[in-house]
Amino acid sequence: MKENIMQLESLTGGYDGKIVLKDVNIDIHKGEIVVIVGKSGCGKSTTLNYMLGLQRPYSGRVLFDGIDIWRDQKTLNAARRRWGVLFQSGALLGNYTVVENVMLPLMEFTDLTKAEMMDVALSKLEVVGMEHAAYENPLEISGGMQKRAGLARAMVLDPEVLFFDEPSAGLDPVTSAELDETIQNVNRSLGTTLIIVTHELASIFAISDRVIMLDPEEFGVIATGSARDLADNSQDPRVRAFFGRKIGE
Amino acid sequence: MNGKIVQNGDKITISGRFSVQDLAEVTAIFEKTIEKNIVLDFNNCISLDACIAVRIWSIVESRRSAGDTVKFQGTNQDIQAIFDRFQAIDDRPVVPVEKHTLLYNFEDIGDKVLATWNTVYGLATFAGKAFIALFTGKVRWSIIAYYMEQSGVMAIPIVITLNWLMGVVLGYQAGYQMSQFGGELFMPALLAYSICWEIGPMMTAVLVAGRSGSAFAAEIGTMKVRQEVDALEVMGFNIYGYLVTPKMVALFVVMPLLITAANFAGMAGGLTAGGIFLKMPAVVYIEAVGKALIPFDLYWGIVKGFFYSTIISVTGSYMGTRVRGGPASVGKATTSAVVVSIFLVILVDALLSLLFIHIRPGLSI
Repeated sequence: MKENIMQLESLTGGYDGKIVLKDVNIDIHKGEIVVIVGKSGCGKSTTLNYMLGLQRPYSGRVLFDGIDIWRDQKTLNAARRRWGVLFQSGALLGNYTVVENVMLPLMEFTDLTKAEMMDVALSKLEVVGMEHAAYENPLEISGGMQKRAGLARAMVLDPEVLFFDEPSAGLDPVTSAELDETIQNVNRSLGTTLIIVTHELASIFAISDRVIMLDPEEFGVIATGSARDLADNSQDPRVRAFFGRKIGE
Repeated sequence: MNGKIVQNGDKITISGRFSVQDLAEVTAIFEKTIEKNIVLDFNNCISLDACIAVRIWSIVESRRSAGDTVKFQGTNQDIQAIFDRFQAIDDRPVVPVEKHTLLYNFEDIGDKVLATWNTVYGLATFAGKAFIALFTGKVRWSIIAYYMEQSGVMAIPIVITLNWLMGVVLGYQAGYQMSQFGGELFMPALLAYSICWEIGPMMTAVLVAGRSGSAFAAEIGTMKVRQEVDALEVMGFNIYGYLVTPKMVALFVVMPLLITAANFAGMAGGLTAGGIFLKMPAVVYIEAVGKALIPFDLYWGIVKGFFYSTIISVTGSYMGTRVRGGPASVGKATTSAVVVSIFLVILVDALLSLLFIHIRPGLSI
């Protein structure tokens, strides 16, 4: 039996009292690449927010390594140090250079010297093919480069789990495919668990081990399985409609 | 016009393709049709623009409600779908418009009171967390120095210029009024006292709220929109310690200095007004100010500065963190930051003035 690293247990939540997720149960296994998909407004990003501890659920629990992340602030902080996140926009801080952005978690949580931090940050930038833009202002580089730099920052503390919020959004197909390859390499080389929110069919088929599909009318999960299995064998019309699109739609 | 519309007795034949440019002609044909039973023939109609379709639909609806009969004939699938959609919209139950009754007004007032309470509660909670982070978190000297430069050094020219101008205006007006009964020699004391106790600290607070309070809100708000705040939070940073306390410390240090500079600039303005308009020698003015003021008057401005700096930095940062959604809410946050900061500064100023009105050791004019 596969070991769980993250679980949502009977989680109910939403915004300003409006329910978006109701009694949701999700298990994420160690080392797998899970893609969360669904129509706009189905709660993909909300699910991610709950996993990241950015929102407190109305009821239910978010477990990381078997421990409720909301037990106390220390537990949440400790869990967060074992995660990395790539947000949709890259979320690099505009008043630091690219390499300084990558160094930020090192500055906060390690006793490394500045030279050592620089070496680690540059090595991570090299992994994502961004070493040439290390000293650029993040606001002056392209969207794809921002995302790759964001990925380097997310990986800098060698996290056990990496979260991705719409990694392909706003990228051309070639850059998107390159990013997918980088993401897969991270999983292969480091065994990192990857949780990805996306609706890009090409990415879903290319990188996912398992797909979790949410639906706004059900306020939760309507299907789970491999992308190929869901696309070929699901009897649910909503799943068929989602996977029946042409790639790129 | 690719389409063609022809009226023949009670039959209107619509053929070809219609677009919005044909609106006037279609309307004219319908208007001149006086028959009570009309047949609309769409047999040769290929497509209808949404504007043409809605105009036809609204004319048909008004005719039907006047007792006429209108029949559609030969509509293809696409055109029928358009009219079906209009029919479905018309069939939807009308949501009654909320009347502005007395009860509604009370509810409205209640909602606003609740919203204000939520803001006050949120601000107080935020301030509490920021103070905890201030005393327990890391001191980020480089960031503090950056904000001291932005909010302090860069504000010096505008603070000095405006307070000097205020001094000129107040000095001239006070001197002119007092000269009517030979009391212009009291102008320096009046001016120096009011500048140090009220005008200098207040003008500086308003300027800093407008410059730095809004900048803090915009900076944090933009970071919220770009998910940078979420990223910091998820990386395990204490966002209060990282984003708020450096601003608090920086303003806490520079605000009293700016107020001191503002006080001297204001008094220099009075000196200018006295010299130019009242022909008062500088030595007389300075001697009168020296007699009127005691060191406490300057310290009082500094004390007020500590309060004002905390209000402005915390309010600006809090409004920034309340940003939700897109860039438009950043604009709202900056406006709220300035308005709420100035309101709170004046409120606290009034409270301080009323509570401590008798703490001054006594006027020595």
